[in-house]
Amino acid sequence: MDEALKVAEFVGRMPTPVELHLFDTMWSEHCSYKSSRRLLGTLPTTSPDVVLGPGEDAGIFRFASIDGTGWDIVVAHESHNHPSQVLPVEGAATGVGGIVRDVYRMGARVTGVMDLLRFGDPAGPAGAKARAIVRGVVSGIWQYGNALGVPNLGGDTTFHPGYDENCLVNVVAFGAVRHDSIVHSRVPAAAASEPYVLILMGKPTDSTGFGGATFASADLEDGSLHAVQVADPFLKRVLTEANFAALALLAGEGVEFGFKDLGAGGIACVSSELAASGGMGVDLDLDRVPVSRDDLPPEVIACSETQERYGLAVPERLAERIVSIYNEEYALPALHPGAGAAVIGKFTAGDEYRVSFRGGEAACASVEAITRGIYHERPWAGSTPAPVEPQTRPFSCPLDIRAMALSLAACSRRPVFSYYDSEVQGTTVFRPGEADSCVSIPVPGCPSGLAAAGGGSPWIGALDPYLAGTSAVSEAVRKIVATGATPLAATDCLNYGSPEKPEVMWQFRRGVEGIADACRALGFSGGSPLPIVSGNVSFYNQTAGGKAIPPSPIVAVFGRIGVAARAVDMSLKRPGDLLVLFGPRRDELGGSLFYREILRYPGGRPPSFEGGLEKEMALAVLDWTGRGLVSACHSVGEGGICMTAIEMALATAPSLRCGLDLRIGPDPVELCAENTGYLLEVAPDLVPELPPFSSVIGRVTDDFSLSGEGWRLDLGDIEARWMDLLASVVWREE
Amino acid sequence: MSLPRVAVIQFPGSNCEYETARAAELSGLSARVVRWNRAGGLAGECDACILPGGFSFQDRIRAGAVAAKEPVMDAVCEMAARGMPVLGICNGAQILVESGLVPGWSPGRIEASLAANHVPGRSGYLSSWIFVRTGPHATGSPWLCRAPQEPVPLPVAHAEGRFVLPAGTSLSDLEQRGGVGLVYCRPDGSGAGGFPWNPNGAGFDLAGVANPEGNVLAMMPHPERACMLWQVPANLPGPWGDRRRSRSMEAVSRGPGASIFDSLAAYLGVPQG
Repeated sequence: MDEALKVAEFVGRMPTPVELHLFDTMWSEHCSYKSSRRLLGTLPTTSPDVVLGPGEDAGIFRFASIDGTGWDIVVAHESHNHPSQVLPVEGAATGVGGIVRDVYRMGARVTGVMDLLRFGDPAGPAGAKARAIVRGVVSGIWQYGNALGVPNLGGDTTFHPGYDENCLVNVVAFGAVRHDSIVHSRVPAAAASEPYVLILMGKPTDSTGFGGATFASADLEDGSLHAVQVADPFLKRVLTEANFAALALLAGEGVEFGFKDLGAGGIACVSSELAASGGMGVDLDLDRVPVSRDDLPPEVIACSETQERYGLAVPERLAERIVSIYNEEYALPALHPGAGAAVIGKFTAGDEYRVSFRGGEAACASVEAITRGIYHERPWAGSTPAPVEPQTRPFSCPLDIRAMALSLAACSRRPVFSYYDSEVQGTTVFRPGEADSCVSIPVPGCPSGLAAAGGGSPWIGALDPYLAGTSAVSEAVRKIVATGATPLAATDCLNYGSPEKPEVMWQFRRGVEGIADACRALGFSGGSPLPIVSGNVSFYNQTAGGKAIPPSPIVAVFGRIGVAARAVDMSLKRPGDLLVLFGPRRDELGGSLFYREILRYPGGRPPSFEGGLEKEMALAVLDWTGRGLVSACHSVGEGGICMTAIEMALATAPSLRCGLDLRIGPDPVELCAENTGYLLEVAPDLVPELPPFSSVIGRVTDDFSLSGEGWRLDLGDIEARWMDLLASVVWREE
Repeated sequence: MSLPRVAVIQFPGSNCEYETARAAELSGLSARVVRWNRAGGLAGECDACILPGGFSFQDRIRAGAVAAKEPVMDAVCEMAARGMPVLGICNGAQILVESGLVPGWSPGRIEASLAANHVPGRSGYLSSWIFVRTGPHATGSPWLCRAPQEPVPLPVAHAEGRFVLPAGTSLSDLEQRGGVGLVYCRPDGSGAGGFPWNPNGAGFDLAGVANPEGNVLAMMPHPERACMLWQVPANLPGPWGDRRRSRSMEAVSRGPGASIFDSLAAYLGVPQG
């Protein structure tokens, strides 16, 4: 209500319905980060690799140069949590659909997407709902991404009862663009000297997603179904091809132009932001917007979040040719009723945002007022409780290791990945599950590989919101480094409960501090930090009763390897090779798989963040992989050394069936601590001088087992169950 | 001489056209992506034609059914009738079946279908690497003449890839008519024996079906995703997996799928290196 009064103040009279919705949409948490903006300013965002930091819908960093042409990578990261909880298939599909638009609209070809998924406990009391959401979300992801023709390059899937009523669906997209062909989302300066118009293209505007931006920022309740959009990957594919034809025409004409996708806030957002960032005003004629039905009120046309639409600011003299690319060459109106391109407005000198509808004025406001947004200083309060360890730690080896391997937390994610097309475009080097991160070759003709991976643990988040931030960054960094790629940039999505609660704001602050500290410690370009180049904040993730999800900052990291074909996967290669451990084990098992699955103990001290060690280890891994010494590498993750070793063995070719023999007794700290580290397979004649944080802890065998001093676990005995567990729990009940 | 020309037809919803064109170029051919509604004939402009994978026309009615009725398919049928090489990959295979070019026993009639996968305990889309071996008539095929005798690993990625032939069709009928192009098998070349080596439940383990003249081939696996050795998973059994795991693998080493495009290049007279 406060905000309604503010709107009246801005326009100096009773606001029209269009104006009310316009301001409501543009000022919602989703569009303007009204609770978080100031804090986000503390994140490091620059390095010599950064071309474009946060500010537009995607970030850009330098990647490669071939024949004198520079190529950059565009990355974007968003949440689609609330829609996916309400309508999992449609919510997850539009999540993919929305994030790829953010990359396409910078002029890039999307070369991969990644999904970072957090679901409720499929085996818990609310398991039926959680299982249905897993099935729906995976289905939405494949139905959209596979049809669009963008390879799904993994991500992760984590279960935690704190997500029973509010799943998290974070989506990341990335793509390649020629450095000299980056497109910005603003009316260009040339619009001062010749008339520019706004072309809207894609799906006809309907009422789907009306109120979507405000919905994403609200508590979940019934009756919000209308706010979920309807995705159409088929139309998007054709639209994307037509977009590239239009961009090529504009580039060929040598004119400046602006391009932006329609996401949150629809036409209102695209028109005001294109105008605002170019320092102009805009005259919109809603009667020229192609609509799905004639009775849509003006505020719906202006603010609905109908999917598969873009806006293009071009010189008026070229508008007709551009429109014909969509309507004739790619025949959009023939492929989807009402689809196509149309000129819907023109840019004007000054700062006025004018909207006309059926001969009258539907809105008139200042562009600056609409796009500036408002800021809330939210109070915060909280502290991290002192960790309490369990009284005893009984460990039955290898039975407990077997139980951990056959838990939902540790079992194979292949049942999820098997639905994804991870190889369309023909550029994929590592598919999901083969290595710590997926690696692809985003620039055809250039041998460089792009590695992408995500991190973020609700179990650590629940114990310490600061470590939630540091561990999300360091986990993703390790996954990149383990393939031999050097981290270049990161994105984040900060998923939390209600910012109106001081405890949540405190968690949020600590998470941001953690991310910032880890990024400062883990830069790999000279003395620069690892830059956060794009990101998103998702608040109001909570139960109907207002209980917040565990603090869930999720970070994606992107890295480069000079020759992608030399990237290192996690599968064991040769019996007789040695297994080298980087990273000392410490008695910090809080949040570990051992405490959770075996002791059923929720507390304990989580692994601390050791930035200096983390970076030294990463540099050593990159040195070894760069010299071609490493046959396989896997970062130590959930379940500690024992589970990391099992995953390396299970990834081995079925014709080889290698195992590992460790020089470790049945010690839960040595085997199960989840402190940072790496396991590396190295041929005995290639082992270089060992750095102080490393030791040879075992060797590769031709026995398909994991063994140690006084214990042995047969892997043939668990393999089928490990592969199938997730499918049997989640899918087989259908 | 100028390079033989391959047209890769782009339907609305195709999504493998660019990598398919690149794969053909890697084999020494000249390839061009041609939009479905572009005016003009095809036969005079190219020496072979490929229908790439994707979801043409959103899989409306049935996968491939709408594309099969587009005017550009008249041009493709004309090429096929003149004995020119025509290949359909995945959705392209579905289009060839829906247009009656494959198996092509009574031209113009739809005599087969690519039905929804039959996988025990699972439905929907499946991505996986499988092995195929060639049928008895490979040596004369423009698409298979350079394919090795040994099993070849290739990726599949589809929800509807189960070849179904008219009731009563026997394997020997099919073989006699030259229809057996590619067959799913185990890594050692023995019979697939059901899932997972037959990934969709196709009758007679059919992965690719040819017309009686052999110039038209409809295949479900994606050779364009396996033209380079780096595209091959390191955990595959067999010699291709061994090569992929080898320390001496070069970034430019060719992969198992290259043989499809190399076959065409050899057939069209490109000198083979």
